[in-house]
Amino acid sequence: MAFSLNNESISYNDQIILHSLSFNIKRGESVALLGKSGSGKSTLIKKLYESRKEESSYIPQELSLVENLSVYNNIYVAKLDEFSTIHNLINLVKPAKKDVDSVTSIIKQLELEDKLLQKVHDLSGGQKQRVAISRAIYEDKSILLADEPISALDEYLSSIVTRTLKKNFETIVCALHNVEVATKNFERVIGLKNSKIIIDKKCSDLNADDIQKLYYVCE
Amino acid sequence: MFASKNFKVSFLFVLIGLISLYFADLEITTIDATSLSQDFFFSIFSMEFNNYSVLLEAFLRTISIAVLAIFFSIIFGAILSLFFNSLLVRISLAFTRSIHELFWALIFLQIFGLNTLTALLAIVIPYSATLAKVYAEILQENDTFTDTLRGKDKLSYFIYTKIPDALPHLISYTRYRFECALRSTAILGFVGITTLGYYLSSSFMQGLYHEVWLILIVFYVIVASIKKWFNKYTFIPLVIASFLYLDDFSGFNLANLKRFFTQDIIPYPIKNDLGLQSTISWFEKIFVNEILPGATNTLVLTQLSLLLTAILTLILFPLVSSKFTNKPTKISAHIFLVVLRSTPEYILAYIFLQLFGPSMLPAALALMLHNGSIISHLIGHDTDAMKLRIDVTKRKTELYFYEVLPRIYGQFLAFLFYRWEIIMRESAILGVLGITTLGFYIDSAIEDFRLDKMFLLLLVTAFLNILVDVISKKAREYLRATKHISACDLRQNK
Repeated sequence: MAFSLNNESISYNDQIILHSLSFNIKRGESVALLGKSGSGKSTLIKKLYESRKEESSYIPQELSLVENLSVYNNIYVAKLDEFSTIHNLINLVKPAKKDVDSVTSIIKQLELEDKLLQKVHDLSGGQKQRVAISRAIYEDKSILLADEPISALDEYLSSIVTRTLKKNFETIVCALHNVEVATKNFERVIGLKNSKIIIDKKCSDLNADDIQKLYYVCE
Repeated sequence: MFASKNFKVSFLFVLIGLISLYFADLEITTIDATSLSQDFFFSIFSMEFNNYSVLLEAFLRTISIAVLAIFFSIIFGAILSLFFNSLLVRISLAFTRSIHELFWALIFLQIFGLNTLTALLAIVIPYSATLAKVYAEILQENDTFTDTLRGKDKLSYFIYTKIPDALPHLISYTRYRFECALRSTAILGFVGITTLGYYLSSSFMQGLYHEVWLILIVFYVIVASIKKWFNKYTFIPLVIASFLYLDDFSGFNLANLKRFFTQDIIPYPIKNDLGLQSTISWFEKIFVNEILPGATNTLVLTQLSLLLTAILTLILFPLVSSKFTNKPTKISAHIFLVVLRSTPEYILAYIFLQLFGPSMLPAALALMLHNGSIISHLIGHDTDAMKLRIDVTKRKTELYFYEVLPRIYGQFLAFLFYRWEIIMRESAILGVLGITTLGFYIDSAIEDFRLDKMFLLLLVTAFLNILVDVISKKAREYLRATKHISACDLRQNK
């Protein structure tokens, strides 16, 4: 089991925003968390990340990129703790070929290879999201917890990105607000509304009524 | 509109300003101010100096001291900024900052004498404190990396996630601070250190106005061209050259330092064990005769100058705004403002003092011109970026009152509140020129070698400053002018 919540309440700034939540997420599952903004998705994603920090990568909604650093260095940041401080300092001046190669192989999958040495502040919103995703992949963990990581991508890139994520992570929990993107690319959807789970089903089992419910969740 | 927060705050400050005006002594006491002023202003056409090698040396000395002072301030400021979360550090830095560099110079003169060391310490101490505060704010403001993702290797995370986005702001603010350091070093001449202020005041006293103008104009050129000669390529060579040029840093005297802290500044009755009664009467006498009038005059001058600054800004900013003027007017107004704000308030006050005689008038004029030109420049810059609809009124007066002023008024107040503390610090120091603010009593205490009294008066000055700083912060919060202005906007983007 990757995550198991049993009747848990989740609070933000000392205020309970999700009441008595219960669900299990098995290893190997890809789950889309649907709900409109303010429904508590972000807090839940962060909370799940904090409960499994050692095994997970996290992409916050605001992406946490350093604007004045290159795409390469922004991705490299994921492994700062793995290398020595000296190695990290040298990397700023002259990166090792091995590190550059492994970063390049990731951004190639996300169609970003020509941006390797560009500063992040010169990138578009969608490109920035893919940099944050690359950073998460580079971290090389088994679980991904991502908060709206593909909101600025078109349909074509969304499917490429989700495919890449599935290839690189065993388990994925992703907050989204787009019903089609969720049902098309994920195995299971959880819909949150008014601080409760309204729907929790495998995408293959969804009927017209459920889809209606999902749209209601995201309204 | 009349019930708005902006209106209430403005009304209160105008009222206080007017009350200050009533109490302020603004008399012109020179016998013939007009002809004196004419003499002074017309000497600009006959600029010269009787000994150019002395002048060159004064400039090199001023620049070298400013360079070394900023070099050390950067180091101490950067280190201290890392501990800015600690309340103790914040309080001590607030105290250090609230004492003007000229006061620091007067203190170190007593301890180490008239030398380079004194000049450096006088600047490095308050400047490190200011840099520490602003560096800490910049680092915090430009941090876009969530703490959730921050790992264990603190140094690496600091370098990768905090420095890159903050660096341009850090550099730009440091450059602005260097410009301030040049001004501060120049005015150290007024207490006897042989920087520009020294020659400026001696030329003035001898009535050699053509020399005064030459010094001022060369100083403007140096300040205006800072970007050309003070940058990442020249910084290290400048520091090394300054070290070599200044050469002699001796003068440190541990015994004097010790005596200063353990004897000189201890109140006389306590030091001599005269008992509680005489300590109280010692304090009472100083309180009634010096603290009360000094603090009142400092406040009167501050509030009057703040009001005058506000009025001048409202008049001047359209001149540097493309919304109101054509290009030639804008450029000439811009040069005028640059000249005004490059002149240290202290020098402006000194010049007016010679022309109009001792009263609050020279100080109020100097503070108004210096601060008004800074805020006008910033507001003018803001209005340039303002997007108005295409069919906006073509009539300038309507444009000013209906479109532009309402939009920038909040920002205008925020800038004024930010300068308030600076005006207060300057009001106190201008006392050294003979205007009876706290600086006057501090200077006299030093002259009489009553350092215990000097120290008490300095504490009062620092306390007033911190008080104004706190009220200003509260006022900005009340007005919700939360946009951060201390660090980034005031680096006077040229």
